[in-house]
Amino acid sequence: MIPLDINELFLVGAAIFVVLAIAMFYRAVAGPTTQDRLLAVNVLGTNTVVILALLAAGLDQPWFLDVALIYALLNFLMAIAISKFTVERGGVL
Amino acid sequence: MATERLLVPLSESPTVRQTVAYAVQSGLEPKPETLVCHLVVALPYEADVPGERESLEETKRLLERAVSWVNEDATGVDTDVTCETAVLGKDAYLFGPKDYAETFEAYAAEHDIDRLILDPEYNPGASAPLLQPLERELARTDVSFVEAPLERSVTHERFTGVASWSRFLSLFVVSFGFYLILGDPLYWFDLVTGTAVGLIVAFTLSHVTFSTAPTLRETPGRLLRFTLYVPYLLGEIIRANLQISLVILRPSMPINPTVTTLRARVRSGLPLLGLANSITLTPGTLTVRANDQRLVVHTLIDDAREDLFEGGLERAIRFVFHGRRAAAIPTPKERGDTEILAPGYISGSSQPSAGAGSSNSDPPETTTDGADASDGGDEA
Amino acid sequence: MIDTLYVGAIVVLLALGVFFTFVSAMGVLRLPDVYARAHTASQTDTLGAGLALAAVALALGWQQASVYTVLLLFFVFITNPTAAHAIARSAAEMGIEPWSGADGDPSSDGGAVPDGGEPIDERSSEPGHERETTEGSHGGDPR
Repeated sequence: MIPLDINELFLVGAAIFVVLAIAMFYRAVAGPTTQDRLLAVNVLGTNTVVILALLAAGLDQPWFLDVALIYALLNFLMAIAISKFTVERGGVL
Repeated sequence: MATERLLVPLSESPTVRQTVAYAVQSGLEPKPETLVCHLVVALPYEADVPGERESLEETKRLLERAVSWVNEDATGVDTDVTCETAVLGKDAYLFGPKDYAETFEAYAAEHDIDRLILDPEYNPGASAPLLQPLERELARTDVSFVEAPLERSVTHERFTGVASWSRFLSLFVVSFGFYLILGDPLYWFDLVTGTAVGLIVAFTLSHVTFSTAPTLRETPGRLLRFTLYVPYLLGEIIRANLQISLVILRPSMPINPTVTTLRARVRSGLPLLGLANSITLTPGTLTVRANDQRLVVHTLIDDAREDLFEGGLERAIRFVFHGRRAAAIPTPKERGDTEILAPGYISGSSQPSAGAGSSNSDPPETTTDGADASDGGDEA
Repeated sequence: MIDTLYVGAIVVLLALGVFFTFVSAMGVLRLPDVYARAHTASQTDTLGAGLALAAVALALGWQQASVYTVLLLFFVFITNPTAAHAIARSAAEMGIEPWSGADGDPSSDGGAVPDGGEPIDERSSEPGHERETTEGSHGGDPR
């Protein structure tokens, strides 16, 4: 259904996204504040969602999109939960 | 004290009757010669929303009912009880708790009010719950106020049942539709389980999902205008993204971060959420805080700040929620609703009640653990 | 003809997506403080993700999976700014000061004037001095 070269294109795109996601690790490790780290992890998560979607198209495995959807949900929840937790540390989420 | 003057703000709430009763009873307690009850209704700002006349009529009826309640409660006492009614907010923009508090304060000063009796379910207009922020704002003025100590059984009842059928139905439709998108709309098993799940979701969550109940008259129009809004927003996002990309990729990186505030003229709840999220989505502007209508926005470059102050997004949001006529308002810059904050704002005067002002990286004081208390003891 | 157009559209969308994600990564690595980083982290990244997802949806064509992709796109566009807002707000509640130009010292900046445009003028007068401060203020410049 999808021509072969497009599939490879998506795989190349996914590879670039992986490199960019890895670059986020610098900020996640070095970031001076908790929020910097959280931000980096959030971007990493968004990138992961895109990578999953690109793989779904590139490998022709549509069910990867299910994983991507759940991952996006969890990523959002993580950002909200941790940023709430950093403000009222010791409080219940 | 010969005359006792009370200010009672009214709204269509489940406890308005009890609040009036409490006001009369507490006003009679010091046994004044005369008791003057100022019954006021503060109208939210919606002059450009159709149906204003209706809400004015409803307000008048509410005031009439309240006057009859006062007379009912005051029969058989030897105090001279009179009522004064007023509708506030017709010539002011009442959006958030701060506006209400200021209006009440002005009214109280003008009429020499002794006390303000607050309805625990006070909720003027169809916006998000207002009581706590209103109390916070009132505490900052010099009006003395009490919250009527009522049995709030009504509240608990409301949280178990179905809040309103329109909310229930729309939530059911949304969740059922979502389920079918994920599943197969033609397979009977998915239809049955989807109905069950949709019913459960709608039953348990319908009272927290919508701050205002969707209505057949307004919601379709809003959805339609929202679909018009999306391409506009996308265009803005792409245009601003290109600007920001140029700035970031340039080696010198000419950024100029500033913290600004913007008093937005949209109502609380969904419109404010939409505006704040749209501002955040447009690169170069980031909503840091939304205290009522006062948005604290961090801007990265000057162009983005100018765009923000031109208020294109605000007008678009007003268009989405209230139609074309509401969109024609002056820009925030012309209204003087913008302000560039000095550095040091965040740690200086961030939030008076939360006390997040400690400039070291300690979290704001929490009341839960003893460690904070001992820290404070060392410093003292 | 239609085929090349189709493939071309996918290529362009994907390339733009990669470009904007690259900008976002650069921004997160280069910008001076958490608020400024949140700008690119939430927005440029959202656009990058959106374009890449649009490419995927286009490639999958008319089937259930592309509905998923559109749903995903919609979801990313709603949650990303909300998450960025939450992070920025928590930074503000913790009392983290925004980096504000000259010297990296907020109190000595011309921006201390609360109303009016002084800070703008000061900045635009000398474009060279930003570079110094970028290097000096946080030392976090990875390039």
